[in-house]
Amino acid sequence: MSPWERRNRGGLYYTRSRKVAGRVVREYVGTGPLAELAAELDAEERWQREEQRQASREERECMEALEEPIEELCEAAEILAQSALVAAGYRQHNRGEWRKRREKRTEEE
Amino acid sequence: MRSAQKRSEPETGQPAKTDEESARGRTDTLAELKGLLRRVHEEGDEGALPLLREILDEVPTLARRLMDPAKQAELSMIKSYAGDDLLVRETLPQTLRAMREELGGKDPSPLERLLVERVVATWFSLQYFEAIYAQNIRKLTIQQSEFHQKRIDHAHRRHLSAVRTLAQVRKLLKGRTTVAQINIAEKQINSAS
Repeated sequence: MSPWERRNRGGLYYTRSRKVAGRVVREYVGTGPLAELAAELDAEERWQREEQRQASREERECMEALEEPIEELCEAAEILAQSALVAAGYRQHNRGEWRKRREKRTEEE
Repeated sequence: MRSAQKRSEPETGQPAKTDEESARGRTDTLAELKGLLRRVHEEGDEGALPLLREILDEVPTLARRLMDPAKQAELSMIKSYAGDDLLVRETLPQTLRAMREELGGKDPSPLERLLVERVVATWFSLQYFEAIYAQNIRKLTIQQSEFHQKRIDHAHRRHLSAVRTLAQVRKLLKGRTTVAQINIAEKQINSAS
């Protein structure tokens, strides 16, 4: 919705819309040069916010891209370490301590 | 079946795999190991052990290959961390190398080398995220600040976990002629305990 509202008597009225407790509230700013200045300042603020959002998004994506191979390395190293321990006869007790697995007794014993 | 999945390594004279094939092979092997570990841990199925040993035996270069993507990430982080500071860009890799050597000790097994690599990578990523946070702290909103703190907490947990696993493997497998060490190593010795 355009922030400029055309009045019945003619002329444009600058308005600002914002959400208050989930409802859109419209604030009537005015007409003429003052309203145009307010509109320009609002546009500048919006542009700056958008720039900041974009920069944050890019930074987040960049960090995620850097983290991905490290996460993969961690997961793979953990799997290999656990496999090595299990193959060497250990067993993890309740997802914590590693203990040597008990040898099964033969029937003769 | 396992026999149909025999992995070919460049060292064996087989044609070299492309990066994509190699990555897929790594993922498949790790998924298989994960499945076998689950069988042993959750179902107590010891019948999975020979297969697990067989897989470790089939992938002698896996540990080394896993390090490559992490090295790339490390280079990117060094570049980003150092920015235009040539001194930092030159000295940081040396610091990380020294850390690797110190942690690796004398004659580490390939598994230990991989775990050391993980410790160094997680340590550096923690330093990196803390530095980014410190550099930007004045201009961050509360929301952005929380995002950075969560990331640092995660990196910290990841690093502690890496250190713990290295210590466990050192404590339980060091000095033993274990199947695990032999299977991951390049040279296979058949007289494992």
